[in-house]
Amino acid sequence: MRERAERLAVPLGLSATVAVLIVVFYYPVGSVLADAVFSDGRMTFAPIADVLTDPFYTGAAHHLFTDPLGVPVGLVEWLLAVEFFLFGVDLPPTSIGLFGFTAYQAALSTVASVALGLPGAYLLSRYEFPGRRTVRSLTILPFVLPGIMVAVGFLAMFGRNGLFNDVIGLVGLGPVEALFTLEIVVVAHAFYNAPLVTRLVTTAWESVDRRQVETARSMGATPFRAFRDVVVPQLLPSLLTASLLTFVFTFMTFPIVLALGGLQLATVEVWLYARVQNLELAEAAALGAIETAISLGLTYLYLRYEARQVATRSAGTPLARRQLFASVRSLRDPHRLALAGYGIVVLVVFVGPLASMVVESVTGPGGQFTLDYYRFLLSQQTSSATGTTRPLPAIVNSLRFGVGTLLLALPMGIVVAVVANRDVTGSRGAEAVLSAPLAVSGIVVGLGLLQTLVFGTVILDYRITVLGPIAIVFAHAVAAYPFVTRNVAPALGELDPRLVDAARSLGASRFRSLVDIELPLVASGVVAGAAFAFAISVGEFDSTVLLAEGVDSYTMPVALERYIGNRSLGPSLGAATAMGTVLLAVTAGSFVVIDRVGGRWQP
Amino acid sequence: MATVTESGVELDGVSVDFGDVSALNDVSITVDQGEFFTLVGPSGCGKTTTLRTIAGFESPTEGTVTIDGEDVTDRPPEDRNVGVVFQNYALFPHMNVRENVGYGLRHRDPPGGVSRRERVDELLELVDMTGLAERDPTELSGGQQQRIALARALAPGPELLLLDEPLSALDVRLRERLRVTLREIQQSLDITTVYVTHDQEEALAISDRVAVVADGGIEQVGSPEAIYRSPASRFVAEFVGDNNVFDRTVQGSDPPHVSIDDQAVPLEAAPTLSQGDRATLSIRPEDLSFHERDVSITVTVQQVEFLGDAYRVHCEWGETEILVKTTDDDIPRETVTLWFDVTDVYVVDRSATE
Repeated sequence: MRERAERLAVPLGLSATVAVLIVVFYYPVGSVLADAVFSDGRMTFAPIADVLTDPFYTGAAHHLFTDPLGVPVGLVEWLLAVEFFLFGVDLPPTSIGLFGFTAYQAALSTVASVALGLPGAYLLSRYEFPGRRTVRSLTILPFVLPGIMVAVGFLAMFGRNGLFNDVIGLVGLGPVEALFTLEIVVVAHAFYNAPLVTRLVTTAWESVDRRQVETARSMGATPFRAFRDVVVPQLLPSLLTASLLTFVFTFMTFPIVLALGGLQLATVEVWLYARVQNLELAEAAALGAIETAISLGLTYLYLRYEARQVATRSAGTPLARRQLFASVRSLRDPHRLALAGYGIVVLVVFVGPLASMVVESVTGPGGQFTLDYYRFLLSQQTSSATGTTRPLPAIVNSLRFGVGTLLLALPMGIVVAVVANRDVTGSRGAEAVLSAPLAVSGIVVGLGLLQTLVFGTVILDYRITVLGPIAIVFAHAVAAYPFVTRNVAPALGELDPRLVDAARSLGASRFRSLVDIELPLVASGVVAGAAFAFAISVGEFDSTVLLAEGVDSYTMPVALERYIGNRSLGPSLGAATAMGTVLLAVTAGSFVVIDRVGGRWQP
Repeated sequence: MATVTESGVELDGVSVDFGDVSALNDVSITVDQGEFFTLVGPSGCGKTTTLRTIAGFESPTEGTVTIDGEDVTDRPPEDRNVGVVFQNYALFPHMNVRENVGYGLRHRDPPGGVSRRERVDELLELVDMTGLAERDPTELSGGQQQRIALARALAPGPELLLLDEPLSALDVRLRERLRVTLREIQQSLDITTVYVTHDQEEALAISDRVAVVADGGIEQVGSPEAIYRSPASRFVAEFVGDNNVFDRTVQGSDPPHVSIDDQAVPLEAAPTLSQGDRATLSIRPEDLSFHERDVSITVTVQQVEFLGDAYRVHCEWGETEILVKTTDDDIPRETVTLWFDVTDVYVVDRSATE
C-alpha cells in the first residue's frame, strides 16, 4: 500500500499542482478573458474593440482599429505623437494612449535600471573590497521587498517634507517636488530592477574566461579592443535578458504607480484596478485580456531567448579583480572616483527610501523624536469603530498566509522542478503551461478569483464559494511556486542523474529517491525557495488588495496602503511609515533566512 | 559454470530509441547464470544503453528483458533486484560509508537472516574496507570509492551485478589490480555479472564471454580467445587488439586460395569460399616475423616503438600499413622481408561476387 502510494507520489503531485493551477489560475484568468469576448452568451469582440478604438487607451493609434485603411496615416500620427511626447513637447498623454504610456514608462524604467545597474555589475565583478560578497547577495533583497512598502519609502524620502529635501535644503537648494511625477516612478522602478541587471550581468562577467582576454591581448589588441571584442559580446545576452525581464515587470507595475503616480500617471494595471473598483467589469476584462496578451508575448520572447543562452556557460578562470582601495594614490584614479559617485547614487536610491521610512516613523512634524505613530497603530488596534484597519490582524494574517503559501508552494514548486528536469517530450510545453503565472498580472488573477471562486460558481446546481482567505493563500501560492521551482530546478539539474539510478537499483522508488537523495542534496535551494515563497506572500499586494476588499483578511501591505490614505494624524505619512517599518522587519527576517542558507535566485 | 542451463539474463530482440535516434537495434543476448559477461565497444556503440536497459533505467521500444527466467521488461528498476556500479561510483555524498552500503537494506531485507549492521560489516570485509565505515565518501581515494560502490551494490544480495565502466576513472596500475579483485569477488559469490567497458584488453582479461558491440548491434559473442583468434567481422578484427587487415580476391577453389605477393596462400579455414569471392584477411602483428616461415612479403620499415617487453614496428606494404610485434633486438631500418605461416591467416569477412 505504502509502496503504491510512493510510486504514484510524483504523478499525483503533478496532477494536484495542475489541478490547483487550473482552479485558481487558468479558470479565473480564463473567465476574465472570456468576459472580454462573451456577452450574454454570445461571442463578441465589442469590449476589446471598444478599448482598442478608444483614443484614451491606444492614443492616435486607435486609427489602426477604427480606420484600418487609413493605417499609414494613423501610424505616422501616432509615431509623431510618441516623438513629441518623448521630446517633452507638451501634448496630453492621451496622444499615445494608456497602452502607449504604459510601454513608454516601462521603456524609460528599463533604461534607468540598466543605467543604474551596469556600473554595479562592473564594480562587483572587477573590484575586490570588504563586503563585496554581502553586497552581491544583497542584490536579491529588493526583489522580495513589498512594492507598497517601497512606495512608502519613496514618499518618505522624496516627499515635500522628505529626507531628500531636508538634505538639499541644508545647502540652499530645493525644495524639489518629486511626487506624482514620472521621474519618481521611473526611479522607484529602477530600485526594483537595477539590482536584477547588476546580478545577471555580474554573473556573466564573472564567467568570462580571462585566457580569452589574454589571448586577445597577446594578439595585439589594446585593453579597450579586448573589452569590446571579447568581453562585451559575452555580457550582451545577460543584459538583454535583464532588460526584457525589467520591461515585463514594469509593464505590469502596480503598487509603485498607484502610490507614487496616482491616476494621472496611471498604467494599464492601475486603470484596470480603478475599473474594477468602479465595477466596470467588462471594460476591466477587456483591458486584462489585452494586457495579458502583451505580457505573455514578451515572456515568450524572454523564454525563447533564455533557452538559446543555456549552452554558452564556460568553466574558465575568471578575470582577476582589482583592489578597490589599493593605496592613497588610487583615490585620484578616475575609475575609482566615478565609482565613488556611483556609491552616492546607490545610497540615495536604495538605502535612502528605506532609511527615511524608518526615520520618519519616529520623527514628528517638528523634527523631534516621537513614538506617536506606533501609539496610533496600537490605538487602531483597540479601536472599536467598524472599518478600522487594525495592525495586529494584518500582521497575523500576513504570517498565516505566508505559512499557508509556503506549505502549498513548496510541494508545487518541487514537483514542477522534478518534472522540468526530466528530458521527456512535451516537458518544455508543460514547463510553459506551469510558468505562465509569472506573466499574468496579479490584478487579473485577483479579479478572476473574485469573480469566480469568491463570488461563487455553479457546478451541478451547487453553488460553490471559496472564502477570501483561502483564495488569497492559493493566489499567493500560484504567484510564489515559480520561485521555488527557479531555486530548486537548477540545483536538481546539476545533480548526477546516476545518484537517482543508484538509489532506484537499490530498491528505492522514484519518490523515495527524491526524498532520500535529491532533496537533502539541494536543501539550500529548497530553503531559499521557501523563503522566497514566504516573502512573496508577505509582500503580495496586487491580488490581495482585491480579494481582501470588504473582509477582514487584509494583510500588512494592504493595511499599509490604507494608512497612506489615512491622514487623521495630519499631513505626515507617520502611520504608514510605522506600518512600513513593521513590514520591513518581517520581510528582512525572511531575507536573513534566505541569506543564511546561501540561497540564490538565477533567472 | 558452462553446465548451468538456466539463463541469468536474456535480452530478446531489444530495441531502444531516444527520440528519432536508434540506440539499440534488435539486440539478443543470453548470459548464463554465474557468468562474467562483458560488453565491449567504442563509445556511443550502445553498450551502456544495453546495461541500462537490463537495469530498468531505459525502456525498450521493442523486445523483452528476462532476469532469472522472469520477464522484467515492464518492471521499474527498484523491483529488479540488480546491483549496479557506475563509472563515477555515484556514492551518496551526504551519507557516510556505512549509510551508503546500508542504503539498499532500507528497502530490502539483508540475505542470510543477519541484521543490517552485520550485513554492512560483512560487505566491508568482503571489499577489504573494514575500519572506514564512518568516513565520508569524499574522504576516500578513487579506488576506495570503487570498492564501497561495489559493496553497496552487493549488500542487498542481488541476483545480478551490472558494472558500467567501473574502473575507467582509475590509473592503469590500480585498474589492473582492482580487476583481479573484482573477478575474485565475482567468482566467490558466483553472481551473474554484466560488465561494460571500452577497453578491449580489460574485456579479454576478465571475462568468461565477451560481446563486441557496434552501432547499436552485437557484432560477435564468444570466449575471449575466440574473439581474439577468430574475429567474425572486419570491425571485431580491427577493434580487438592490434591487427593487420586487407582484402583479396579468391582464386580458384578446392582449396580456395589468394595471391599474396605472387605466392598462392590457401585459405584452409574457409573451404566454402569460391573463385571470385572477396575475402577480408587478417594477420596478428605477433604472427609476423623477420625469420623464415611459409610466406614472405616485402615491406619498408617506417617507425619502431619500444614497448618494454617487445617492439612494435610500423611498416609500409604498398598502400597498406603493416604492424609487426617482435622481441628481436636488431630490427632492420629499410626494405625487409617479413614472413608468416599459412595457418595464421584468418578470413574475417567475405562477400560473394555478383
